[in-house]
Amino acid sequence: MAPNPAPPEPSALTQLISSASASNHPIAATTLQILHNLQYQHLWTSLQTHDIPIPLKSTTDTPPMSLISGIPPHRVYTHPDEQLYMLEKGLRDDDLRPERLFVIPTAQGQSWSVHRIAAVFDSLPEIPSSDHTESSMADVDAETQAKLTEYYTKKEAARATREWGGKRILLAMVDKGMGGDGTVAYYVVHDGEVKPRQN
Amino acid sequence: MADADEDTTRSPATGAEQIETDLSDETQDFRLLNHLNFLTDTSNSSLPRRGEKDFEPNPTEFQADVLSASRQAMHNALSYPRIHAPKNQVVAFYSPDGPIPPPAHPVREPLEAVDEYRKTSNSEPKTNPSRVSEKGVGVSAEACVCVPSPKGTYFKSMGQADRWNRIWLLPEEALYMLERGSLDIRWPQELTGSVDELSIPMSLQAAYTCFIGRGGLTLERFSVYTGLKRLGYALIRGPGWDDQVDEASNAQDRALQLNPTQRGPGLGGIFSRLFEWIHDPLSTASTTTGPVVGCGIHRSYADVYRKLAIIPWYDPVTPQPNLEPSAPFRVVYHIYKPSTSYKKTAPPPPDFRIAVLSTREQSTLPTLTQLSALLHSTPLVPPHGEKMNRMMYMRLRHGYRNVILAIVDQGVVSYLRVGDAAFGKEKLFENVKPVAGTKRSGFSKKSKGS
Amino acid sequence: MDSDPPLPIPISYISNRYLLFSIDAVTYLRREHHICGVLIGTLPQIPQQNVFLGLPLELMPEEARLLVDKGVACIVDEAKAHAGMRSLLEGDRARYLRDLESQGQHAMRLQSDRKEQKREEALKKLDEKKAARARNSPSASAQTESSAAIVDIFNSERSNGNTSRDTSTSTASSRMGITPATSYPPLPPPSSTLHLPPPSVPASYPLFAHLHARGYFLSPGLRFGCNYMAYPGDSLRFHAHFLVVSYDWDEEIDLMDVVAGGRLGTGVKKGFLLGGAEKSKQEVENEADRVDSVRAFSIEWAGM
Repeated sequence: MAPNPAPPEPSALTQLISSASASNHPIAATTLQILHNLQYQHLWTSLQTHDIPIPLKSTTDTPPMSLISGIPPHRVYTHPDEQLYMLEKGLRDDDLRPERLFVIPTAQGQSWSVHRIAAVFDSLPEIPSSDHTESSMADVDAETQAKLTEYYTKKEAARATREWGGKRILLAMVDKGMGGDGTVAYYVVHDGEVKPRQN
Repeated sequence: MADADEDTTRSPATGAEQIETDLSDETQDFRLLNHLNFLTDTSNSSLPRRGEKDFEPNPTEFQADVLSASRQAMHNALSYPRIHAPKNQVVAFYSPDGPIPPPAHPVREPLEAVDEYRKTSNSEPKTNPSRVSEKGVGVSAEACVCVPSPKGTYFKSMGQADRWNRIWLLPEEALYMLERGSLDIRWPQELTGSVDELSIPMSLQAAYTCFIGRGGLTLERFSVYTGLKRLGYALIRGPGWDDQVDEASNAQDRALQLNPTQRGPGLGGIFSRLFEWIHDPLSTASTTTGPVVGCGIHRSYADVYRKLAIIPWYDPVTPQPNLEPSAPFRVVYHIYKPSTSYKKTAPPPPDFRIAVLSTREQSTLPTLTQLSALLHSTPLVPPHGEKMNRMMYMRLRHGYRNVILAIVDQGVVSYLRVGDAAFGKEKLFENVKPVAGTKRSGFSKKSKGS
Repeated sequence: MDSDPPLPIPISYISNRYLLFSIDAVTYLRREHHICGVLIGTLPQIPQQNVFLGLPLELMPEEARLLVDKGVACIVDEAKAHAGMRSLLEGDRARYLRDLESQGQHAMRLQSDRKEQKREEALKKLDEKKAARARNSPSASAQTESSAAIVDIFNSERSNGNTSRDTSTSTASSRMGITPATSYPPLPPPSSTLHLPPPSVPASYPLFAHLHARGYFLSPGLRFGCNYMAYPGDSLRFHAHFLVVSYDWDEEIDLMDVVAGGRLGTGVKKGFLLGGAEKSKQEVENEADRVDSVRAFSIEWAGM
């Protein structure tokens, strides 16, 4: 019988979670793990967390929920009609400014309800408008610039009419079953009925 | 832009594809019917290719026109009348109070004799335990439509003849035939006051009103019956039709089922255990004090794996405590494939047994107890045959007992087959497959299986 | 087709289910109220298949309820209504039978005319082809008429494959028997004493009504393991957009179900939609108020 081997070194992620100051709550650990996943696996930038109050009559001792926001390297979601518009204008994803996206960190086994999802959407912070201008496209030609201006005007209008979908959020779920394998699954959740993408 | 699951077209040549896409899954564009030559070419048996559907409405006139044409085609198809040419017309009458003798013959047997009659009557097929008529007509008391002069092929698989050579139909049989336009059912004269030739025909609506809900025939059961009849299956009521329990016939069924093969750890099992014990005298080591497999001499991996099998497993062939299947998890129909030669007077063992559930009344999965009871109300059908012996997954899928669940959601029927698989009986370690890692393909040389 | 049935449309309540037998009602409700139901009957013209089904049309209790609440339909106790067969007036009965008889004669005439016409056409075609030394079979003539075939509803050549010569010999009885689709007539229109209260509906009703109000066509969702399928237009012509699952406002949602629904939906190019009403039954006076408080969320796999 072989002698008990020394326990393996904790992973970088485990070390991160156990060393972070906020780690005394399991929800915080989930948030941290998803932050880590977004940063290193999906290469998101400008990541930050937002504490939002979720008023729920049923549970009184729920801690404030943490939302994550950040900027993905590529567009995660494009509404089918928006895609059609871009196609007609000859715009590619890469032409557009990156957009800040909100992420709800969750873990498998957590209990959710329609009430809770509605509350998250209702307390979603406004995307600071500085985000829209912070990375200006210096290196595009005038023609594209004109198209982009047109696109952003249209997008602003579509936001009001919701024709390119309403508020949306990314639901991130950590697999914690059987000890968890570190998998994080991402789903786009829209407020209201938004027709599915066809590709 | 169309759905992968919805878009494969159906061509008669490719059987595999037909399994993948069941056209009846989706609302069909009735315009396809316009191209069906069914009215002029009766030999036509192939279905039309489906039309393309759009992703979403747009304000084009073209789309509006296509939709309007689809609706018109549907309207036309659904307006098609049920007419009976004099040559083929089969007339029947509705008998609200069950089977009755012809007007000329008075009731022969007193009501008290009914119980006696039931006991002595062996002619009644076991699968149809419903009461025999109380009026001495000699057919099921559930029958309610009489065909005085039967003709046509339908009565080969449906109905019961009485002693005056009239055919009596159960409500589902009568409704199915009326709906397909093959039977002209009349209101009984005493109900409408008309005489013979001038009796009022029952409408489709009247037939549903009178037959659905009668003698246990729910709309869901009828949807399953008629859906399978349309595909050419023959169906008879099964032992679970009546919600009240029929003890005698179930016990009889079970006695038949348990006899044929007693598998499991028989004599061979005892010998092998004996050998193990000889080869491994130290096997008394318990898992609390040492390794699970003991510290003895292990001559083969199989021995080791056998030792590791410490989790008890379920063997479908061992007799189970008597479980009474509870509604709706009861076998309500016995089903015969079109290829099975079926005789209604002496039905062979059915090809399938089916239970019918309504999603609005049963919204949860069955419990293990409900499912076990249902499976144990069906006979033991162990996997057999050359193919099954060879292919493990086929054996597992086939199981030792099987039953079909027809789940009906507001008119939409899904069929699920439930098999009693015996994973514990498949000793994977005994398979003499090529060792993993060798270059030879594991598929070219099939092992003989266990 | 455009003949609108008189309102309210009677929905047959038979053995705890809601059915429609009138084609005009079915067409009207589909066109004007986006109510599709499910066809469950056998089509007499092609009875041996399950792809195209016919009357009756089964309505979900939700559909029946919606129509009743809108004042478009009423629920009729068919068993009670058909007890009226016992009390038909002699005059009504006789008139009804006369009508059936003349319809039967009409059907018979139409069929023999049609057969005659078809035989002539076939012969003509045959002659033409012979003359042209064409090698095609004369059966092609049948093909040319196929598009008009369904419209000519009385052209029923049954599976026995009668040849046209048979008709001349089988005129002993000069009329067709007819099995009508509905019982009205001979029954008089159902009086209000036969009406039943609005159907009771499952907890998913507010979400159903919410989506219906937003223009979606809804159908039962069993095939995809959900409450409803939501179509952006008539399901005759459009693919479904959503698999719909309803929850109570504070009912626990297992995130695994969201993942399963999201993946299933994405796999068949549909969205997964969940939702429910904020207001409970106790908080409102009627179901319509709950419908206004529905929140719905669409979920798709993010693909990352």
